[in-house]
Amino acid sequence: MNYNWDWNIFFKSTGIGSEIYLDWFVSGLGWTIAVALVAWIIALLLGSVLGVMRTLPGKALPAIATGYVELFRNVPLLVQLFMWYFVVPDYLPEPLQTWFKQDLNPATSAYVSVVVCLALFTAARVCEQVRTGIQALPKGQSAAALAVGFSIGQTYRHVLLPQAFRIIIPPLTSEFLNIFKNSSVASLIGLMELLAQTKQTAEFSANIFEAFTLATVIYFVLNMSLMALMNLVEKKVRIPGMMGGAK
Amino acid sequence: MRFTTRLLTTAVIASAFAAPAMAEGTLDKIKSSGVIVLGHRDASIPFSYLANDPTKPIGYSHDLQLKVVEAVKKQLKMPNLQVRYNLVTSQTRIPLVQNGTVDLECGSTTNNLERQKQVAFSVGIFEIGTRLLTAKTSGIKDFPDLKGKNVVTTAGTTSERLLKAMNAEKQMGMNIISAKDHGESFLMLESGRAVAFMMDDALLYGEMAKAKNPGNWVVTGKPQSFEIYGCMMRKEDPAFKKVVDDALKATFKSGEVNKIYSKWFMAPVPPKGLNLNFPMSDEFKSLVAKPTDKSAEEM
Amino acid sequence: MIRFNNVHKWFKDLHVLNGIDLQVAQGEVVVVCGPSGSGKSTMIRTVNQLESINEGEIWVDGKNVADPKTDLNALRAEVGFVFQHFNLYPHLSVLDNITLSPIKVKGMDKAAADKQAVALLERVGLAHKKDAFPAQLSGGQQQRVAIARGLAMEPRVMLFDEPTSALDPEMIGEVLKVMKDLAESGMTMMVVTHEMGFAREVADRVVFIDHGKIVEQAPPEEFFKNPQHERAQQFLRQLLTPMS
Repeated sequence: MNYNWDWNIFFKSTGIGSEIYLDWFVSGLGWTIAVALVAWIIALLLGSVLGVMRTLPGKALPAIATGYVELFRNVPLLVQLFMWYFVVPDYLPEPLQTWFKQDLNPATSAYVSVVVCLALFTAARVCEQVRTGIQALPKGQSAAALAVGFSIGQTYRHVLLPQAFRIIIPPLTSEFLNIFKNSSVASLIGLMELLAQTKQTAEFSANIFEAFTLATVIYFVLNMSLMALMNLVEKKVRIPGMMGGAK
Repeated sequence: MRFTTRLLTTAVIASAFAAPAMAEGTLDKIKSSGVIVLGHRDASIPFSYLANDPTKPIGYSHDLQLKVVEAVKKQLKMPNLQVRYNLVTSQTRIPLVQNGTVDLECGSTTNNLERQKQVAFSVGIFEIGTRLLTAKTSGIKDFPDLKGKNVVTTAGTTSERLLKAMNAEKQMGMNIISAKDHGESFLMLESGRAVAFMMDDALLYGEMAKAKNPGNWVVTGKPQSFEIYGCMMRKEDPAFKKVVDDALKATFKSGEVNKIYSKWFMAPVPPKGLNLNFPMSDEFKSLVAKPTDKSAEEM
Repeated sequence: MIRFNNVHKWFKDLHVLNGIDLQVAQGEVVVVCGPSGSGKSTMIRTVNQLESINEGEIWVDGKNVADPKTDLNALRAEVGFVFQHFNLYPHLSVLDNITLSPIKVKGMDKAAADKQAVALLERVGLAHKKDAFPAQLSGGQQQRVAIARGLAMEPRVMLFDEPTSALDPEMIGEVLKVMKDLAESGMTMMVVTHEMGFAREVADRVVFIDHGKIVEQAPPEEFFKNPQHERAQQFLRQLLTPMS
């Protein structure tokens, strides 16, 4: 194939100010991490609350949480993103709408939209993991906690959730990695994260393969590091005497 | 994951086609296979796009592409030469030409130095200026009026690069939004997120024609650059390039290009029957009079 | 201390508790026995409302447990409960298992709670295991820790729901010994068990329950020597005949 390889492209000027293409990748990686991490923290908190709601006695709260999961899991992520970016702001009350669409830096408003979108989408998935984790615990655990006088809240806080979270570390890890990969949807509303910078480099330099190869390597290294981090967490919280964790 | 999949797909296709593409010239390949593969776009209105028939593109660039096909038939004495179409996107068009999937791509591809390292360009088939689309009531007349404003452009285009460079050099404090395609750029403009949309003027006229109220919008500003669109083919294949260039030059010389131009820019076009009302610019007129395969930056 | 007044409970169509009347006095040790499915576990779980009731009243220490106005958490804090399957918190050390509720429910400070827990562990003979985790203990040890956990709340009553039936035979003795010591210290106890030796030796009264009804209650020597009810006789015959 008549492809003109040029691996030095990353160190060449982009023609904008004094930037080189590598700067674009660094800034793109920064946005990717900023989007994914913040969205993940929100998703983890909200998803845990929803997951707990689904396991509570009574009808109303579980039904609300179930409805949430069905809604956010079944609408494609891209559709949700366009809702948060194009549709929802148009329904904000007036001074707020103008502020969000015009006064706010466009990168900031795109960032807010994509973080909200990814957080709410991932929360639905975290919710299901948390619910499964709680339901996998023996019934006696909540009975034992209630029997010593714990409130429902204390029972979840001190007895059920610490165990449930340990069980679901592997599936949560995969959701954590997914949110980094899903953050690439941000490129579609103009947020210059890693994928957007990759495409821009490919377009501007016409060195398409080099750009996408570097992006692949960056995503791969990023995911491997996150996986190593989660393995560390899993080891750290492993319960002695269970599942080969004896000290 | 989509980007890796795309990369892998491209790599697989590349390796599958790499050998035959290098072994022979495009004319030999067409002759032995009896097929010429044309690359086209799906929504570059009115250059190359799909309207009523999803298997066959239409448009200004496509009409010129068909002129080349006629010339190839004559050259190879193959009146029954088959034409096959292959849809390309802005990301796939260069690799697909390079690896031999597509023999000739005519759409809305700017001829520039970076791309010349990867592919060869025909003589220019169109010339645009990069300008602004804005609401008639916005008060924006030219680029200096954009200071401190939100401005949208389409990701990966020359306009994006120019706008960013202008912002850095002249310290204009613009917030630049890079939308994923022209449709989305216009949506940003229409929804009030940006006061102006910088792009190739022909494409701005196209977006304006599609708007709910075309009369609300205006194309304005001194062109920041001129860009020449060309058809792309593989590098280092002078025989094929000559056939392509000669066919295009003949169309220019005979004046037939004016008819094709009017059909696509001065009359209603499918699918919605929009009329772009975009008269031929002086720059393009001189390009037709003196065809060249150089990029605008080289001239 | 505990009083059941005509207590009824249904699981859908199944009438599990069919008019229970029972009183347990302060300091008394009552053993509840009966065939499986008789409702004895359900009955003991209604005392601290791990199971709700449909009709009747249960009074514990002067409070009606079925009254929605009763603070259940406060009540449960005064009623220790030991489960068949121990239900220790597997993610916490033995010490933390015992101190968690005094700290969180009673607001006891950590140092005092630790001190109390160590004392309780000495009482059940497991002080050396305070830093172990439940999964590292035998069943008998786990159940002794569970008893210590119940005692840490300084309950006025201890309830035992078949505390030895999930244990290997060689571990039953160590648990029963702890329970016996507890009874001798004057604790009010209600024990669902099949351990008739324990009943004979420790109980003040044996209650026999069948089909959700108390069919017989008597001091142990009377109950074992001379059971009045036909089903009690049958139950004792089956229990005392060595398995063939």
